[in-house]
Amino acid sequence: MNPRTTLLDTLRTTPLLDPRRTLPVMAELLAWWAALAVLWLVFISTVDPLELAVGAGAAAVGALAARAARRAVTGR
Amino acid sequence: MNGWEFAAALTLSGGVGGTLWGVATGPLRRRVVAQNLSTALACPALLLLAQGYDRPSYVDLALVLALLGPVGTLVFARLLADELAEDPPRAWGVTYAAAGVGAAVVLALCVATGPSRALVKLLAVGALLIGGNVIASRALAGGFRGVRRG
Repeated sequence: MNPRTTLLDTLRTTPLLDPRRTLPVMAELLAWWAALAVLWLVFISTVDPLELAVGAGAAAVGALAARAARRAVTGR
Repeated sequence: MNGWEFAAALTLSGGVGGTLWGVATGPLRRRVVAQNLSTALACPALLLLAQGYDRPSYVDLALVLALLGPVGTLVFARLLADELAEDPPRAWGVTYAAAGVGAAVVLALCVATGPSRALVKLLAVGALLIGGNVIASRALAGGFRGVRRG
């Protein structure tokens, strides 16, 4: 590490700790999560709290996978 | 036998039966197109059966088939890319005919279902069915030859 690099610089270059990078990442994950959760809500036959909880969890995992796939395709 | 089941029987015997004949005979370019169309026609048949038997959960079968059918065709398009490049399929007429059958079935079921979550699900199945098969047909015809091979 460059000796003139401060702790703050290190924190800024860590992707999830830099607010300028965290916001777009969280916004993208939230958009994927919302779309996938709506899809789940449409595909289930009976709406009850357990289904909604499982759907929210599945949509969260799906959002991470969707962003990874999107980055793999666009290369960014 | 009600009208939905009769329509399903027609789609299965005429459509899927015809595509099975196409898969079993003829040159490669005809077989891959028939393979692609078999799922494109089995999916509307499953939708019609779900309506005919009044079992909405059977729609899930059609949903899975609409998703996995084109994916399977893309695998064939990739594995047979060299053979298909020499003798590419030209079958847009039957492809759009199958897409039209799918669209007509989804539309009829939407009218029968009425506005509800089930209608949105049907529309999602229809979009996957038609979009997936048009993309898969384009891949078979070499439409994505510019795509980098990984």
